[in-house]
Amino acid sequence: MSVSDVIQTILQGLQTMGRGIASLFASLSGNEALMSLLTSLLGGLFHYALPVFGVLVVVRCGRSLFQSRMEQETWGSLVLTDGTRLPLNHWENLVGRSRRCDVILSYGTVSRNHAALIRDSKGNWLLYALNSKNGVTLNGTTIFQTAALKARDIISFGGVDACFLPSTAEEERQQAQRRSKPGKAFSPGITLFLLSLFQGMLCFQLWNAVDAEYQTTVAGCFGALCALMWAVYLIYRIFRRTGFEIETLAFFLTTLCLTVTASSSPSGLKKQTLCVVLGVALFFALSICLRDLEFVTQIRWPLAVASMALLAFNLLLGERLFGARNWLSIGPISFQPSEFVKIVFILVGATTLDRMFNKKNLLYTLGYSLFCVGCLGLMSDFGTALIFFVALLAITFLRSGDLASVLFLLAAAISGGYLILQYKSYIFARFAVYRHVWEDPSNLGYQQTRTMSAIASGGLFGQGVGDGWLKNIGAANTDLVFGVLAEELGLILAVTAVAVIVLLAIFAVREASIARSSFYVITACSAAMIFVVQTMLNVFGSTDLLPLTGVTLPFVSVGGSSMMSCWALLAFIKASDARQNAGLAVRLPKRRKKNEPEDEPDSWRAATGFFRRGAPFTADDSAETVIRRPEPDDEPTRINRPASASPSPKSSVPTAGESSDDFPDIDFSDETGENTADADDWRSYFLKDDEWEDKP
Amino acid sequence: MKQLKTRTLFVLFFILALILGMVVLLVFYVLNGASWASYSANRHVYSNGSISSGSIADRNGVILYDCENDAYNDDYEIRVSTVHAIGDRNGSISVGAKSVFADELVGFSLVFGTNGTGNQVNLTLDAQLNKVAYEAMDGRDGVVALYNYETGDLLCMLSTPAFDPDDEDEIAAINAGDESYDGAYLNRFLSSTYTPGSTFKLVTSAAAIETLSNLDSFTFTCDGSLEYDDGSTVTCPSAHGTVDFETALADSCNGAFATLANEIGGETLQQYAEEAGLLSSLSVSGIPTATGSFSTTVSAVDEGWSGVGQYEDLVNPCAMLTLMGCIASGGEAAAPRLLLSVTGSVGLTTTEATETTSIGWDSSTCQQLKTMMRNNVVSHYGQSQFGDLAVCAKSGTAEVGSGSPHAWFVGFIDDEEYPYAFVVVVENGGWGSSVAGSVAAAVLETACS
Repeated sequence: MSVSDVIQTILQGLQTMGRGIASLFASLSGNEALMSLLTSLLGGLFHYALPVFGVLVVVRCGRSLFQSRMEQETWGSLVLTDGTRLPLNHWENLVGRSRRCDVILSYGTVSRNHAALIRDSKGNWLLYALNSKNGVTLNGTTIFQTAALKARDIISFGGVDACFLPSTAEEERQQAQRRSKPGKAFSPGITLFLLSLFQGMLCFQLWNAVDAEYQTTVAGCFGALCALMWAVYLIYRIFRRTGFEIETLAFFLTTLCLTVTASSSPSGLKKQTLCVVLGVALFFALSICLRDLEFVTQIRWPLAVASMALLAFNLLLGERLFGARNWLSIGPISFQPSEFVKIVFILVGATTLDRMFNKKNLLYTLGYSLFCVGCLGLMSDFGTALIFFVALLAITFLRSGDLASVLFLLAAAISGGYLILQYKSYIFARFAVYRHVWEDPSNLGYQQTRTMSAIASGGLFGQGVGDGWLKNIGAANTDLVFGVLAEELGLILAVTAVAVIVLLAIFAVREASIARSSFYVITACSAAMIFVVQTMLNVFGSTDLLPLTGVTLPFVSVGGSSMMSCWALLAFIKASDARQNAGLAVRLPKRRKKNEPEDEPDSWRAATGFFRRGAPFTADDSAETVIRRPEPDDEPTRINRPASASPSPKSSVPTAGESSDDFPDIDFSDETGENTADADDWRSYFLKDDEWEDKP
Repeated sequence: MKQLKTRTLFVLFFILALILGMVVLLVFYVLNGASWASYSANRHVYSNGSISSGSIADRNGVILYDCENDAYNDDYEIRVSTVHAIGDRNGSISVGAKSVFADELVGFSLVFGTNGTGNQVNLTLDAQLNKVAYEAMDGRDGVVALYNYETGDLLCMLSTPAFDPDDEDEIAAINAGDESYDGAYLNRFLSSTYTPGSTFKLVTSAAAIETLSNLDSFTFTCDGSLEYDDGSTVTCPSAHGTVDFETALADSCNGAFATLANEIGGETLQQYAEEAGLLSSLSVSGIPTATGSFSTTVSAVDEGWSGVGQYEDLVNPCAMLTLMGCIASGGEAAAPRLLLSVTGSVGLTTTEATETTSIGWDSSTCQQLKTMMRNNVVSHYGQSQFGDLAVCAKSGTAEVGSGSPHAWFVGFIDDEEYPYAFVVVVENGGWGSSVAGSVAAAVLETACS
């Protein structure tokens, strides 16, 4: 997308606006014939312009998402005795001999998965000893489970020693500046402008299609959606966030949802729009929560209990609607609890690396999951139960990497499903008609045959907004919404809507390689999984490529609960977006405080001349831990561990008068058979290093 | 984390499944879009269950039905005589062009779906010829059909009783069960079977020609009744005296053909009926025809009757027409078709290809049958009613359970300029050659003028 393209796009937009103004002028002048001529001209133009703009928006978002380079973050490093620096690219790093470890130590004494180094969202590091053969020691002390890490700690992985150096706040700041930010190649503002034009055109078409009493509602709701979109964008700009592709894609789908709503049930348009606002609010709230992993991990079990209570309550007292007891009504508001339980379900299923090795945690999750799936099954909401189950499969596999347990779950589910088929004859009938809908088009194949007929009737560009008939069939704007889209807006936009889901899901998978925590990977991938499976069940169910299950198409199907939960699930995908300044779900490094000294590492080092003398450790006994190692001369070796509180770099710097003998003469001969050379390497490493500082 | 990255392939697998599914869906859209779009629930092209897109015309461009405006032709007799070809408003006639050629009428396009005006479907029928046939039937029930055995075009296809699709009183009478409209919704030409009577002797003749070595010396003395050992008889309307093979066909002597049938044997006769295409369903531009039947039996007299087109013999008129075309052209002829071409909204016309069909008989057999059928006309039916046309024919007077026999007259013109085959059935009409023959003569006269 070159500048000329952008200009061309803007010119096109201006042209369109000009025509809109012309028609407005015509209406003001009271010339009815001219007005109607302009309306039909514009209507015809917009009919074919809509797919162009829709595809343009999605293509811009997609290219912006996937053309960016995958830039790793570095949160610290392990320095080996030979001076090799092994970066810690995630918040959770698995150390071991296995090639699948994040830090690979190819030594015979190191176990395949030896230990884990884990940083929390506040910057504190923990060392986790996994069940390795030769054990882990921290500064000489054997660690059996966990230990807090400080800068310059010496960790021995089965005898392989490494010095732990976390990134300093300054380094993190520099890293943040160095990494490229999204939104450069494809300005999110222009994309959003194109989407606004798309919305404007749809609004124009709908204005002419709906009953006169709903015209103002349509204009108001589309205006509100557009305003909301730009408001979110503004908030992002205020907080220096430039990654807006995911939100734009979701707003694109939401626009399609409002179009379907306005066309099929204009009386529900206000409610649907309100739910979009609530959904976006939920997106923000969850994004903020996801910044703090500790907080999220703490609240999820109370949430799990609450969701179980909600499902149980729903099961016992929920009202029976549409053949499934999956609705709850409180006063005038009725909602589908299962949509909200989805969010908790993912939170409960996700886990950080440290818990991943604890099988008991997985069992709790499994128990919770089975309760949810069971409740949904008892509510006869088999579509949602299936979605939960597939999400469970994803979570199980992501956590355990064990295909056998996934297959076991699958086998259990198939036998369970078989039992259900025995007792629920109407479900069986749905399966019986599968791939035979044209043989029973007026009964069991009713919805599918009509969906296919409507899709074909629409062609690539659709019959026009509001000109479809599929929407008049029961549950068409939820279960058959793909057909409604294809009929009225055309196959191009309907397929584009599915492409958006694919883009979101691929993005979630792609971000896994640079993600900070496995928690974000699991939540994002589970959310993506739910989106993908729902899309498959919805689109393929209504077109007889799969049995019809009556599941919503994410963001597009009409329904308040579904809309809100989709935006919430989007927060999980957004939180995995580890690009610099991408979104609010990821904290930026703290800005340098005013009174904080400008720790220019080089000048600082030059001033002290300390490094050149090769003595990075202080002799300040009050702020250090002394580790004694057996030395030939029985002199204690001291390794400085500055207090984590906040010693300014200068305060921890030893005075010039200290002798170089204070440099820890660590004896690595026990595993490498060398000593002084290693010590020199240590020294040379520190000389090369820019600077290091403790985390505040 | 690297471990987890590998495990996300699990999700990627589902994403790929979604992409693959979309590809399959699009392939289905390309392959089946036309039939999806023309499904009768599609209100873009149907209104009140009736197709509302495109128009149906005859071979000369005469609009027989304008789907968009739900208007039939203004001429009453054209309306009535083509109602089975086109279909009625309520969809009671299931094999009318309205429903059979819905795909063509809708004019589905992969790009625009059903946006547009629909197509004009041009039938092979000649509305004028249908009108003449309708007049010639003069209120009697039955079938008149005529087709070009070189192109396959069905120029005339009439099934009576017919009705005026615009006449609601008449439709009400049909629905109320008025006996004079029995089977009015049935296209008898395509969807019914009749006892063939003596027209079936052509099949017995073919079998005799190909299987009996002493046919040249065959004679039979007819005293009006052929008695079997058990006392049962095969009778003739009158005593034909001594006949040879050729005069037996011209006289349509039941006794002679029953004797021939007994000599040939039921199994072989059935095989020849099968080879003639009388026992299988044909496809006329996608419309399947009714299947005829022929039963073999241990009873000699029943076998004799089956050889003269009685007993349990049943033949579909369209199958008989095709057989005539095949005999006329030496064993292989064009298959009858109803769809001539489709004219799109931008004026492009797609012409349907002619398909051929064949019977399993030698061309020399067909040649001999042709000579004998020509002899039938010259010596018995009277050439005068056909003018100069070299008509080859066989009449039939099929005894049916009640009422007068069905009158049959089937044949073709042996003329390169007028390569037409025809079939006429007048239900309970009486004597084949005189009753059905005159209807055929009237239609042939118009067709060849």
